[in-house]
Amino acid sequence: MKARRLVRIRRISQAVFLVLFLLFLVESRLPQDIYQNYSLIVSEEDAGLHIDWPVSFFFELDPLVALSTLLSARVLVEGAAWAAGILVITLVFGRFFCGFICPFGTIHHLAGSIRPAQKGSQCIQASRRTPFQRVKYFVLIALLVSAVFGLNAAGWMDPISFLFRSVSLAILPGTGELLKAGFNALAQSDIKVLNLLSYGAEVLVAPVFGYGHTGFQTAAFIGFLFLFVLFLNRIRPRFWCRFLCPLGALLGLFSRFRVLRLEKDEDACTHCGRCTAHCQGAASPEPGLPWQPAECVLCFNCFDVCPEDALHFRLAWQKPRLNPAPDMGRRAVLGGLLAGVSLPFLGRLDRRVTGVPDPRLIRPPGSLEESAFLQRCQRCGLCMKVCPTNAIQPTLGEAGMAGFWTPRLDMVQGYCEYTCTLCTSVCPTGAIRKITVREKIETPLRIGSAYVDRGRCLPWSGNGPCIVCEEHCPTSPKAIFFHEASVPRADGPGEAFVQLPSVDLKTCVGCGICENKCPVRGRPAIRVISAGETRSLENRILL
Amino acid sequence: MRDLITGITRRESLKRLARIGGLLSVCGITGGVRAWGAESGAPRGFLVEGVGTTPGYEVRALVRKVFDEAGGMKRFVSRGDVVALKPNLSWARRPELAATTHPEVLEAVIQLCQDAGAKTVRIVDHTIHDARRCFTLSGAGQVAQRTGADLVFPRNSLMRDMRIQGERLDVWPVFTPLVEADCLINLPIAKTHGLSTLTVGMKNWIGGVGGRRYALHQDIHQTIVDLAQFFRPTLTLVDGIRVLIRNGPSGGSPEDVAARDTLILSDDPVAADARAAGLFNLDAASVGAVRLAAQQGLGTADGKTLDTRRVTL
Repeated sequence: MKARRLVRIRRISQAVFLVLFLLFLVESRLPQDIYQNYSLIVSEEDAGLHIDWPVSFFFELDPLVALSTLLSARVLVEGAAWAAGILVITLVFGRFFCGFICPFGTIHHLAGSIRPAQKGSQCIQASRRTPFQRVKYFVLIALLVSAVFGLNAAGWMDPISFLFRSVSLAILPGTGELLKAGFNALAQSDIKVLNLLSYGAEVLVAPVFGYGHTGFQTAAFIGFLFLFVLFLNRIRPRFWCRFLCPLGALLGLFSRFRVLRLEKDEDACTHCGRCTAHCQGAASPEPGLPWQPAECVLCFNCFDVCPEDALHFRLAWQKPRLNPAPDMGRRAVLGGLLAGVSLPFLGRLDRRVTGVPDPRLIRPPGSLEESAFLQRCQRCGLCMKVCPTNAIQPTLGEAGMAGFWTPRLDMVQGYCEYTCTLCTSVCPTGAIRKITVREKIETPLRIGSAYVDRGRCLPWSGNGPCIVCEEHCPTSPKAIFFHEASVPRADGPGEAFVQLPSVDLKTCVGCGICENKCPVRGRPAIRVISAGETRSLENRILL
Repeated sequence: MRDLITGITRRESLKRLARIGGLLSVCGITGGVRAWGAESGAPRGFLVEGVGTTPGYEVRALVRKVFDEAGGMKRFVSRGDVVALKPNLSWARRPELAATTHPEVLEAVIQLCQDAGAKTVRIVDHTIHDARRCFTLSGAGQVAQRTGADLVFPRNSLMRDMRIQGERLDVWPVFTPLVEADCLINLPIAKTHGLSTLTVGMKNWIGGVGGRRYALHQDIHQTIVDLAQFFRPTLTLVDGIRVLIRNGPSGGSPEDVAARDTLILSDDPVAADARAAGLFNLDAASVGAVRLAAQQGLGTADGKTLDTRRVTL
């Protein structure tokens, strides 16, 4: 096929998959069709709230997600056939995923080529192969070995998880806040036209950026990291793909068997260096140098730009069965092994997994028991993005070091809505298993339990009537009950006759709406802790 | 910020003046013509109670019958009006759990408004659970789709600080579509409530404001009355088809629900709530907000001065 056409097909494919990725990301939210007949859906046995779009599709395509979960949890994730398909195609064509599909790769490709930092011959220098490209094999080996020992941390570095987390938790809400600040300024204006304009714009923008204010713990760090990784393209084009990406490394290993190979015509070559300057993977396409099949991301640029027609991609079935082994370097391999063994055990030293759980670690409903959870969770942020109340947040230290960026519910931000199972329907690896509304309510699936802080509670402390918590409690019968009693008045002598709330642990599911609506803000007078959660035998309270 | 704190808009005040003027002139010209329910000539409030007595009666037909008895929707809604309806859609619950206003009541009222010539009918509620989930689960979304009414989603830009001018509340963010309407109809469902004993019509206005709503509970009866005197709906139609007799206001189990097959329509918000107390076998005086509102002259709790009627279907 003509080189020009191949490059064009690659660009179209990149654009399509990037748009699909962003579309699925935006659609990872509460279904917007408020006209659908939920009443019927909910009363059926097994159907619950679900998103019509295949929002976890890119995670299903991702072989690193499937492989790391296979190694750690010894299960095949749903949709693993897609990932297997990618691997099979990689056996023939090499890292076509990096060149044609990966949305993160496309973003780096764009960032590196729209305004390259290098000029002229610097471009050639910047795209020469360097030994540092071995770092990604180190990352891959460390993550996979760590997975074998029960800590699936692939999502920290997996490009799909990295991109989804960055865009959905930081870039999108950040942009949304900016736009909403503008609309609010317009809405507050006294000029009617501007008012109307702000409503109109808000209606257009809100479905994408959310209706309320969304916020995520560590979002600034996630966003900064994303921008930093983008900035690295100024140092080397596709820096992430060449030096850091564990998925690229994995696909590079499979490229050992690739049949689509670059053939170089050394006689025709004038060593102008254009092929190297445009090579996205720093795979040494120039004749005279050994081509690196594991580094080649199939951008087809070398083929396209060669003025002498000295480079060709051919399906070479018969010639040597194997390509040269990828240049991993012994140090990268050994270092990866060492890091992979130490990571899960060092991560466990804070005894968050094996010992007493952090009271703030409230996992979404349907979450597996903690060690099984950490074998699967990709920290991708999908559950956090779909949560309609913004309760699900990335952890900082609540789940220990090993659980950094895994989901937890923060009841000050939001609460777990009693009849909602949206997060359970999207988890790509089943760390949060699929549950129905019926199962959630009738089991009941507890995610924690509430307790009253009597020192701050308005009625208990004699500061007046309240029981907002009791009003909002969604269970039937209510888990918050009250008894009427006289308490010493806070504002003077005498007694006040008030209703004093208490929690019935047998009924409380830990949904946290009481904490969320409590008039004492920030550190409410009724709080939910993880104790009592159904998923953990250790952490239950009642006999 | 100062200029944002508005009592009523200029447009609204002109409209009210025009309406009062129109009413006066009509009264003047047709002085002898029968003013509805006013034998003595002084305008009197009314209360219509509709009860479904035949098994399998149609809720929508009962709503129509109740409004017919009150003189028809045309009395309250004129051609070209913008009508705001305030149902109670606080919770993401199925209609049969009686935590939210019956969708058929809502639908029937919308149709009556549209038949009376309303330009726009808006369904307005600042819900407790996520509004999207409340609107779908309660059936209000489908009602809006079938009738073409607007569902207004609560959002920051639609909240505006206004003077409540109550005993307890001064300036509070108000959900503007409720005050920017020609006709405001309150469509509460009657439910028990741990703190305010009952939540019916007047308490429903907590769903009409934003801000620190959870703090209102510290003086719940007075804040309810403050909000009720601020919103002053044209009509209150209490949905007592199914009521929550325990575990209110959220309910959650069919066992919390009892059928009462009753609708209460009144232009007196206090009388409507007082009458609804009867659905729970409660004395109206035991509901703090009703007692307080009657004391403060917002309406009548005993209903004696009202033109009270009863229809059955």
